[in-house]
Amino acid sequence: MNSSTLPIIWRFLGLLAVQGLLLKQMGMAVDLTYFNVLLYPLFILLLPLQMPAPYVVLLGALIGGAVDVFYASPGVHASAGAFSGFVRGVVIGMFSPKGGFSSKELIFSPAHVSWPTYLRGAAIFFFLHLFWYFSVDAFTFVYFGSIIGRTAASWGLTMIFVVLYGAMFNPKN
Amino acid sequence: MGRLFQLLLRNGGFVTWIFVELFCFVAIVQYNNTQGAVWANTTEIFGGRILEKRQNISDYFSLSERIDSLNHVMDSLQSRLANARVMQVSVRDTHFLVTYDSLSLSDSIRHKTIRPEYEFITAKVIGNSITSANNWLIINRGSNDLVAPHMAVVSANGIVGIIRHVSPNFSIAMSALHRQTKITAALQKQKTFGSLVWEGGDPQVMTLKDISKHFEDVIKPGDPVVTSGYSVMFPKDIPVGKVLSKATPDPENPHFLVVKVQLSQDMSDLNDVSIVRNLYSVEIDSLKAKVKQ
Repeated sequence: MNSSTLPIIWRFLGLLAVQGLLLKQMGMAVDLTYFNVLLYPLFILLLPLQMPAPYVVLLGALIGGAVDVFYASPGVHASAGAFSGFVRGVVIGMFSPKGGFSSKELIFSPAHVSWPTYLRGAAIFFFLHLFWYFSVDAFTFVYFGSIIGRTAASWGLTMIFVVLYGAMFNPKN
Repeated sequence: MGRLFQLLLRNGGFVTWIFVELFCFVAIVQYNNTQGAVWANTTEIFGGRILEKRQNISDYFSLSERIDSLNHVMDSLQSRLANARVMQVSVRDTHFLVTYDSLSLSDSIRHKTIRPEYEFITAKVIGNSITSANNWLIINRGSNDLVAPHMAVVSANGIVGIIRHVSPNFSIAMSALHRQTKITAALQKQKTFGSLVWEGGDPQVMTLKDISKHFEDVIKPGDPVVTSGYSVMFPKDIPVGKVLSKATPDPENPHFLVVKVQLSQDMSDLNDVSIVRNLYSVEIDSLKAKVKQ
């Protein structure tokens, strides 16, 4: 196991534990409809920039599937994770310098890209993830207004945790 | 194989995503009650629509059979209707001035009055003309189907003609648009009758002759014209058409009026018709013969 794999595993386990044991309990303590912080997609966003897209999709589905175990919602988070794995490349591509990221920029974190870039990228990425998640959760666009409302509310709360995570850990690889 | 794997690695993000989403979709529908219910409901709606469309296509291809079936039903109803009208006459014959609808006689008398007089034979027009002075129709029913000369031909819209010649499987009918056609028709509102003839020209217009002069002011355009029931061939109240214009004095006989009648049946668009068989025509004809003697 090389040095670049270990942080990925730790981040996977750490974010999964936070999501499944802490954030889920917080959500259950209040109304889960609009207070639904989903931090685990950060694992997908922080995967190595040079990682091939299929791996990102599969790892996204993997962490989503693991979260589904906690939430007893087979396939729902896995679908959102796979979607985020797919769109991550598009979102990061929007903020890549001319000629793409170099091998020095290992992950999409404030340590390698600036804070404003990280925040803007994370904002779009999390919005897309949450929108997909709530759409799959509702499984119909009949409740489109409710989907947008829940996405906006959860996105606002989640972004606070995203900033906190960046400030506390500011991962380098 | 290695190259294919490399290609998938480079461009396979989308493909992988689609496969994973399909897998997730199955899991979501299978193991989540809410999403499963939504999916079941959706498939029910769309499945229903697809089935409905398939049924429509199937119905379209079986239209011919269904039309035939409906024609039989129509004939049965027409025959019951025509016979119901006859029953009123039969009731009157027993000296009870009551209509069939309000008949409150004993069942034995009612039973005696129920005497079917007409049968309707389903047929198709396989030849038709409207441009000659004397027009004819060819019909796909003949003596094998109990069709005989002097039977009336009607459609769902109105009168069509009269059977003149019969072969085992086909018959030729004199169209209503024939100079020799003469049908007793009645003005339904005015309760008077006359002779309906075709004088040539417009194939949609016939002339009702021999209407008493005192009806001149009460006949209005649009008034319904029906068969009178005074002929052996046509049952009572079969639609003929409607009055086209105000009645005018008959130039050949100024004591009577003539009325132009717009036919309810478009004679250029004939397909399904019924041949009316009067079950007592022989009996009535023999009585008529005695009068002539």
